[in-house]
Amino acid sequence: MAYVMLDGNMAAAEAIKLARVKVISAYPITPQSSVPEMLADFVNEGKMDAQYVRVESEHSALSVATTAAMAGSRAATATASNGLALMHEVLGMTAGNRVPIVMPVVNRGIAAPWTLWCEHGDSMCERDMGWLQFYSQNVQEILDLILMAYRVCEDARVLLPAMVCLDGFFLSHSMQKVDVPDQTLVDEFIGEFKNKNTYLDPNDPMFLCDLTGNEEYTEMRYQQKVALDAVPKVVEEVFAEFNKKFGRSYKIVEGYQTEDADAVLVALGSMCGTAKYVVNKMRKEGKKVGLVKVTMFRPFPLSHIKKAIGNAPVVGVFDRSTGLGSLGGPVWNEVAAAMRRSNCEIYPYIGGIGGRDVTVENLEGIFNELLDLKDGKKAENTTWFDLKGNPMEIRQVYQNV
Amino acid sequence: MINIKFYGTGGQGVVTAGKVLSQAVSLYEDKYAITVPAYGHERRGAPVNTSIIIDDEPVLVNSFVYKPDYVMVLDPGVLIHKVNVGAGITEDSILVLNAESDEVIDKFREFGFKTIYAVDGTGLALEHIGLPIPNGSMLGALAATGLVDIESIEKAINYFFGKKAGEKNGKAARAAYENVKKA
Repeated sequence: MAYVMLDGNMAAAEAIKLARVKVISAYPITPQSSVPEMLADFVNEGKMDAQYVRVESEHSALSVATTAAMAGSRAATATASNGLALMHEVLGMTAGNRVPIVMPVVNRGIAAPWTLWCEHGDSMCERDMGWLQFYSQNVQEILDLILMAYRVCEDARVLLPAMVCLDGFFLSHSMQKVDVPDQTLVDEFIGEFKNKNTYLDPNDPMFLCDLTGNEEYTEMRYQQKVALDAVPKVVEEVFAEFNKKFGRSYKIVEGYQTEDADAVLVALGSMCGTAKYVVNKMRKEGKKVGLVKVTMFRPFPLSHIKKAIGNAPVVGVFDRSTGLGSLGGPVWNEVAAAMRRSNCEIYPYIGGIGGRDVTVENLEGIFNELLDLKDGKKAENTTWFDLKGNPMEIRQVYQNV
Repeated sequence: MINIKFYGTGGQGVVTAGKVLSQAVSLYEDKYAITVPAYGHERRGAPVNTSIIIDDEPVLVNSFVYKPDYVMVLDPGVLIHKVNVGAGITEDSILVLNAESDEVIDKFREFGFKTIYAVDGTGLALEHIGLPIPNGSMLGALAATGLVDIESIEKAINYFFGKKAGEKNGKAARAAYENVKKA
């Protein structure tokens, strides 16, 4: 093992290389572009023994990767934002055909308005497509989670695809100190790709993805549900083995200073690092706050969430996506459902979208508001907490209104 | 935890300079650093900035720097774009400035830095590299403040720029390190 400086995209490309992926089909989109660029370089320079398939869209990118995996090769692609939206149809194909693709998703908002920058709106739109979803706090986690996702997805009890999400720019372009494991150790950890259950083989043909009547469809969906139900146990096994081999510990849901907390915040992605810093700072001031960091959002880890929140009387949930038209953001909705028999109050927070920075001050403000809500000093929370004072005056139209 | 902000214009290697500094302290000085670059609608000549956070332990914060301990200006021309390089500074914040003359230095006094280190980074870049790209030279000037060793900067420059360009940029950095003056 050796420390090197990598940005998030470099870590994703490095992990795909370490996993000895044999087929790559990716279409560039900001801020993911340097992932397919680096993979193309690896193949061109002979650092990867893989076929690089140039495709004309994200729809084709995932179609090629999915079918290549069905034909017996570990296959990779990566995307972001509108590219993920264009993949939507194929996401169902990958999951429904039980193909264990591991796909980095560089989180960026979906147009309109056009944005290049970070929010979780893209991956949250796809949360119910039958894929696993992991969210990374820092660059090391991107590399590690991708390596571990291969093991989880290719496990015979699972056979499902996973998105490993990384915040656009805040991680994709943030250079950090990363421990890159030895190839031999990774080979031992991940092993060779082997099709299980469904495959494309001319010597042993089978029907795949055929028209399925209502006498079987429900049962096939239920099989996916059963596989997703098996995921937490498999993930825990893989996390434990990874820790033993590489010395880094991961949790499906991490409770950080939550045990005696008066208020906790549930969050995911790169903001969790900043939130831990804020928790440490406020603890020094005698304020009992804690963080619940959700590393795996799909399948939703019900028991892990409940355990991490524990007896905290006041819970905030920070969604880096809007959940437009819903009661709250997607993470809030699900946490509220999970905690419906508990006595805690659960408040939604929406912010950090379209690249707006989640600052130390923002998070401190949220924690202080949660403490005020607990003490009855405040009656309502500020859901859109980082909204500027004059939202309806932005780009106001004066003619023909 | 040390918070640093680099200001310049697109095409000068401002973001790269942040990465070079990060590598210098992370790999050659046993510290931890992260860069958080503020990417905009990239184009040559537009003002850009990058944030760097350095600590003795892994850096938890993943957010731009708003209260910099060190500010480095790679292009004094950012004033034309009305960039406030004094935003968020404290009375101890240090400015490292690429300035070809005292007049340029005087223009930056209004931001209220008590300590200003200045050197003609562009001139030294032209002399040693033959190009007006001051990121290598200015990193040498930054080393003169004591934030990072000049040897670490030279190693990181070699890594990022390759052997040939690395050598020239390393010389520019060393020259700036030796010539920078408190203004």
